[in-house]
Amino acid sequence: MSEHLLRVDWPACKAHGVCAELLPEVISLDEWGYPIVHEPVNSDVLALAKTAVKACPTLALRLTQPPPRPA
Amino acid sequence: MTGAAILNGPALWFANRGTGFVLLVLLTLSTMLGVLSTARVTSRLWPRMLTQGLHRNVSLLAVTFLAAHITTAVVDTFVDIRWWNAFVPFSGTYKPLWLGFGSFALDLLLAVTATSLLRHRMSHKPWRAVHVMAYAAWGMGLIHGMKMGTDAATVWGAALNYGCIAAVSVSVLARFGLLAHSRLVTT
Amino acid sequence: MTATIAVQSAARNDVGLIPKVSEGPALLAGITQGPGLASHRDRLGPAPRPRAEALVEMARDVDLRGRGGAGFPFAIKLAAAARRRALVVVNASEGEPASHKDATLMTCAPHVVLDGAAAVAHALGTREVHIVVPSELPSLRLIVEKALRERAKAGERLKVELHDAQPWFVAGQAQAVLQLLAGRENLPVTAWKPEAVSGHRGRPTLLSNAETFAHLGHLARVGSAGYAAHGTADEPGTTLLTLRGDGWDPEVCEVAFGTPLADVLSEAEMTQPLLLGGYHGTWLRPSQLSGLAVSRKDIAAAGASIGAGVLLPLAEGWCPLVRTAALVDYLAGQSAGRCGPCRNGLPAMAEALRGLVHRGGPAGRVEELCGLVTRRGACAHPDGTARLVASMLARFPDEVDSHALGTCRGNRREVFA
Repeated sequence: MSEHLLRVDWPACKAHGVCAELLPEVISLDEWGYPIVHEPVNSDVLALAKTAVKACPTLALRLTQPPPRPA
Repeated sequence: MTGAAILNGPALWFANRGTGFVLLVLLTLSTMLGVLSTARVTSRLWPRMLTQGLHRNVSLLAVTFLAAHITTAVVDTFVDIRWWNAFVPFSGTYKPLWLGFGSFALDLLLAVTATSLLRHRMSHKPWRAVHVMAYAAWGMGLIHGMKMGTDAATVWGAALNYGCIAAVSVSVLARFGLLAHSRLVTT
Repeated sequence: MTATIAVQSAARNDVGLIPKVSEGPALLAGITQGPGLASHRDRLGPAPRPRAEALVEMARDVDLRGRGGAGFPFAIKLAAAARRRALVVVNASEGEPASHKDATLMTCAPHVVLDGAAAVAHALGTREVHIVVPSELPSLRLIVEKALRERAKAGERLKVELHDAQPWFVAGQAQAVLQLLAGRENLPVTAWKPEAVSGHRGRPTLLSNAETFAHLGHLARVGSAGYAAHGTADEPGTTLLTLRGDGWDPEVCEVAFGTPLADVLSEAEMTQPLLLGGYHGTWLRPSQLSGLAVSRKDIAAAGASIGAGVLLPLAEGWCPLVRTAALVDYLAGQSAGRCGPCRNGLPAMAEALRGLVHRGGPAGRVEELCGLVTRRGACAHPDGTARLVASMLARFPDEVDSHALGTCRGNRREVFA
């Protein structure tokens, strides 16, 4: 499964909101302007997700692979 | 016109002054867009990505004009400006102090540009520390322009200079003054 | 239960009271003889020095869980850290105001903890041990320093460094502790890897609660079979509990797993709502307490978690909503302020709860906030707070309805003034 997870470095996030603009399919903003990541990133939006990671003004967004489930 | 005529004539000097003023306007615009970024100003017709994209593109355009500005100054034989005077502040023979302001601004802008192109490969805090120096680069470039030539004495030259000062001042005051209360607007 | 003895724990709760401590079956077995090394060695013999594989196997056999609140299986942590250049961190900072077990251990039985730390350090092939002590209990640091001097004189070759944790709720969180060790502010940061894999300066860092090390030392000395002499077949061993930790009669005791709750709490306390696990714990109704034992499985089945072993029975005449609102006020103030959802969400939750308690405001807003702060921070502070509040809403719907009508079943009429 090429599922990626968008994770937020919360102390670094300063609620600029650029990520939600670029990737509204996955990210919306709460009442204080901080991102809510709704679901894992599938291959459709992977390129956009990478752009969002690059565009974050404080580099608070990361694309990670989910850890493998223990056997 | 022959090559020698171009080099010995006033064309390069005009090009240098022209690129200088365009550079000032572009850097002023870029600074204002940078301040706008931190203020998180956004509306339905103006997404944050637009501010960010414009800031980046205007800055890159400014860098190309900066290259042209330096090249025309160095290649021009009317004044003796060597290529290293552009990078080493206060090392020139022609108006070394005010030229030096320009060289200093160039060095700062080189650091800002390099770190910004490599932003993802470095951690955020050092990137930001370098990036904030862009304000100083703008200021020093402005002073360099005002003191180097005679254009600052003309009406249009003075209007441009003071207009740019006003534009950046208003942006900064608005951002750190009026909008500073907003709890969302943290630096 | 053995009678309580006048043993002086250096712990002190916010009201200034020192908890009673009773002798226990394993960790607190020798406390009446004082914290000295000589009596400790007389009673127990030399410090155990098992190999890493043996220690991991023993920890797995008895399913040893961390005692810092998360209950993580220690064997996994130890196996992950068993690599080059590891270091050991004993976390005795105990940021939870209602918990006094770690302070009690460090002052009444420091060598029980230090034997465990030394055993783990030896197994990991390192001499580097860091001990994090609460800065608000200076006498604890003095006792630990004395214990370390005794051990050094007796020939133990460890490089021990003490660190003073700030008196904050989140100062004991793992990443906050690593920040303290690195000379930065004692507050949490985002961790991309578990500290057992990559912690202090990128090195494998075995960071665990002081009581966990105490259990390890005991386990290493008596083996899995000896460890299982107390407790049940499913859950061998004992655990330390703090009763009424932030109240007027605080107590620390050691109980074997499987002990009925009725043997730990008084009859009156068994008829009151119980907050189990500390300020990030879960409420239980009195009806849920009668069959309950001190057992992870039992407690999980009741929808709660033993957490750091903190039991807070609601004082008679008090209202669980009022109590929870006060706790959330405190917890909101203890946010590190580094993560937006927590910095904004917890004060909003405190305000919404105040509204609910005083004027019967909407529970929906409180629930919404619980959802907004969960899993959206560098540490579990907002999650724990949300858990506390969610359990209050789930267990006491009648009380919530009462408050909406302007009455309080705990007779706290003054909240409606």
